[in-house]
Amino acid sequence: MEFLLNRYRNLTVLLLAVVAQLVLLAYQVKSNGEVRLIRVWAVTAVTPLARVIETARSATSHFFSDYFVLLDVREENQRMQNELDRIEMENQYLRTQLDTAERAKALQIFQASSPSKTLAAHVIGNGTGSGAKVVIVDRGSVSGVQKGMAVIEPYGIVGKVVDVYPTAAFVLLITDPTFAAGVISNKNRVRGTLKGQGHSTVIVDYVENEQKLDPGEWFYTSGDDRIFPKGLPVGEAAVVRPGKTHKEIFVTPSGFQNGLEEVLIVMDGVHGNIPEAPANDQRDQPVHLLAPPPAEPSEISAAPAGASGATGMPAMPTGATRTGPASDADRIVEEYRRIGEAEKHVYGERGTGAPDYNAPAGITRTDPKPADAKPKDPAKQNP
Amino acid sequence: MLPTEEQRAQPDAPARIFKDDTRFALGRIAVFQYAAVTIFFVLITGFWVLQIRDRQSNNELAERNRVKTVPLLAPRGKILDRDGRVIVDNQPTFTVRLTRENLRMEHIPAIAAGLNLDPDDLRARVIRIQHQPKYVPMTLKQGLTPGELAFVESHRDPETFPELELIQSQGRLYPRDGFAAHVIGYVGEVSEQELNSADFAKYSQGDIVGKFGLERQYNDILTGVDGQRRVVVDSLGVERQRLENTDPVPGHALQLTIDLDLQAVAELAMEGKRGAIVALDPRNGEVLAMVSRPAFDPNLFATRIRNDDWKALTGDPQNPLMNRAIQAQFAPGSTFKPIETVAALDTGTIDENFTVVCNKGATFYGHFYHCDERHGALNLHQAIVHSCDTYFYTVGNKLGIDAIAEYADMAGLGKRTGIDLPGEASGLMPSPKWKLQTQHEKWYAGETISVAIGQGAVQVTPIQLATAIGGIAEGGVWYKPHLVRTDTQPEPLRRATWGASAIAASVNGMCGVVNEGGTGSSARINGIEVCGKTGTAQKVSLDLAKSGKVGRDLAKENGWFVGFAPKDNPEIVVVALWEASGHGYASAPIVRDVIKAYFDKKARLAMPKPQQIALFLRPQ
Repeated sequence: MEFLLNRYRNLTVLLLAVVAQLVLLAYQVKSNGEVRLIRVWAVTAVTPLARVIETARSATSHFFSDYFVLLDVREENQRMQNELDRIEMENQYLRTQLDTAERAKALQIFQASSPSKTLAAHVIGNGTGSGAKVVIVDRGSVSGVQKGMAVIEPYGIVGKVVDVYPTAAFVLLITDPTFAAGVISNKNRVRGTLKGQGHSTVIVDYVENEQKLDPGEWFYTSGDDRIFPKGLPVGEAAVVRPGKTHKEIFVTPSGFQNGLEEVLIVMDGVHGNIPEAPANDQRDQPVHLLAPPPAEPSEISAAPAGASGATGMPAMPTGATRTGPASDADRIVEEYRRIGEAEKHVYGERGTGAPDYNAPAGITRTDPKPADAKPKDPAKQNP
Repeated sequence: MLPTEEQRAQPDAPARIFKDDTRFALGRIAVFQYAAVTIFFVLITGFWVLQIRDRQSNNELAERNRVKTVPLLAPRGKILDRDGRVIVDNQPTFTVRLTRENLRMEHIPAIAAGLNLDPDDLRARVIRIQHQPKYVPMTLKQGLTPGELAFVESHRDPETFPELELIQSQGRLYPRDGFAAHVIGYVGEVSEQELNSADFAKYSQGDIVGKFGLERQYNDILTGVDGQRRVVVDSLGVERQRLENTDPVPGHALQLTIDLDLQAVAELAMEGKRGAIVALDPRNGEVLAMVSRPAFDPNLFATRIRNDDWKALTGDPQNPLMNRAIQAQFAPGSTFKPIETVAALDTGTIDENFTVVCNKGATFYGHFYHCDERHGALNLHQAIVHSCDTYFYTVGNKLGIDAIAEYADMAGLGKRTGIDLPGEASGLMPSPKWKLQTQHEKWYAGETISVAIGQGAVQVTPIQLATAIGGIAEGGVWYKPHLVRTDTQPEPLRRATWGASAIAASVNGMCGVVNEGGTGSSARINGIEVCGKTGTAQKVSLDLAKSGKVGRDLAKENGWFVGFAPKDNPEIVVVALWEASGHGYASAPIVRDVIKAYFDKKARLAMPKPQQIALFLRPQ
């Protein structure tokens, strides 16, 4: 052995150095410490000597002062001070333990009551991208975690899995600027897209200015994104104001308000309902997609299956559902429909003759303005 | 050989030199080894730092300075009615495209599921355009719903589906419930087939073009010119710098001759019915209203129509995609009689006093031809008012097929009117020449008897009938029907040299139909002299209809009514076709409601507007 080491001394040294470097670097990365190892080593090397010198200096100093001046009082004071420090540290430790236990209990209760199948995971690190809001959890593909799965906690949604390793997964937080999810408000059932901003507040985009939404209204997951099951709390609308093209809605996320240590990964999501009442008490891999959520009751009534009225037309798709008149054409048809009702006239039927289209009172007419009536040549028409 | 002085001074020099050289070489090797190790360490460390420790940061840096061209899609021109009121508008909408440079085929099922698309269809579309350059994106879906928008936004991150690209555009917003759907038409993504044709040569895959109706007919006018914005984006797709901007040019607005008031009434009058309405201004050919039912919802096409919806539309036996106003070809029945009247009088075959005795039919060439009623003795005017078939069998027999065909041809039957809509049907006005050419058979005299009452091989479209009767009401002047307004009075398409008395007799007869207790009495409007003619047209022979071998729908006659008002200098002519309604008089109230809407609006607009009176506040 000795012969071999001597004979291949250089190679051995090289290999040992490489291994040591890798181990140390790996240790540094994993520990994610802000202090460099060289500084740690330097401090570690210097500390014993400093401690010896400091002890000697202190002992000499204390000997003289304690012995000659306040030997008993100082000793007693020091003992009590040490005791107090110890108790304070113990108190802090117990408080942390209690918080952890409470969080774990809440997580456990939520996990048991949630219809979705979830997997508890610990947050073990943070991502390194500038501006990116990514955390690393201690569950990976070995535990069945897949890219695209939702990550939640009892008080709100947390993010989604973006990278999966055998024993760990990267979770993109909802505050990340690239994050988005479908949401719906609990009171006015306004649908929108939640987007991260890179800081603690998130926004809800693509809500028309005409749509009604009250500040303080809660947003829940809509299930449209096929990531989060429908009905999970997202946060409260803190600011609602009209924007240039869409409403500006700022939402305070209800999840990870008190830190982020334990989370739940939704392994098999089950869509739930959106609570009616404000939730003031609440806080090259395959992509996992949930089933589409069931339609809201209002959407079902607005878009009946089958033909629309007497026209025999296929029903409009959910997304194309329109509730109010859209153009002058729609408004004028409605006016004439109301005139027919007022005159008790069924259009196109023999009945009592033609109605008087000018007689009905209380119906606002969409007559052309005088200026509008001027005919135009299509070639000269302006856009 | 003796050693030199130098060699004597260093007796063991060769051996020492050799020994020193070896040490020197070993020392150098050691230096090289340590240098190699150091370099190796530096490289390993660098690799570790770049590829593992700072991987995410470096990825961002690498992607940061990427120039991207964002298309700025031009909105199509609006479609307005004759008074400038909006029929078709635009609305902000989102379109998702597939950037094929970073497309991964295994993502297609998930993307299709999230966007409610058929994965097989999507895969086929991707394969179809494989020959195109990769930088040309493929439009996946337009007019995203809030849910689809959420799906795209939540999955288009670089880690999931980076091939998804979201752009804002202006989508079409059509009226609801198929209002004027056949006139307006719809838009859609240009097809491969269209791209290969000359008409669409200037378009690219993913472009939106008119597919049907006016959207197709005036596609070039309505289409704007897309702009583009070149921007520098970071890894998150956030714009960091704008390089250049080319603003989009919106399409031109299209002002139609359609009057929304009349169109609305016509739409309501046809609710629940199958057929068509055409209202024209006979003085210039302007189409005031055009309805075809059953209709379809063009909003289904404003986004990419779903396969299920398309199958439902194309598989519907009632054929909702057919514009019956210009494509339905049916026998005109008795609405043909006013034309035959003019022919008979103008050729001198009969005069207005010519009388026929109706015994609920008559026998010609050994075959008995039925009439609805036993009318007894009637002259021409009475025969028109009561729509006596026996009278017109007799007249037709005297006239002969050539004369009938000549006058019908002048009125515009059996040929396209030339309306500015694609897909107009030509109808058919039979003649001996036509029969010889198409069926290689001679014309039988008995066929003339059927043609004389608008049956047999005669087929017209509602637009043809409206144009034909409108031209007669105008004194023998026909204009090309059109849907887009112009500043200038159009030139007549044809001008007949028919005798004024012949035309007047026909017009008087039609006024009698409505106002003298005739078959079109339910079209009567107090204060407005409405004239018109009913038509009850069989779709199969009477014997076949009675045999029960055909369905009820085929056995039941189509009901026509063509009316115009006022009698002198008519301003509006309206045709209503109600399929399988059983009789023409059922269609008369439809025409009545539309004509009444026209004159009520005219009166309303003529009324002086109430003046606003300013009042000061009462002194305290």
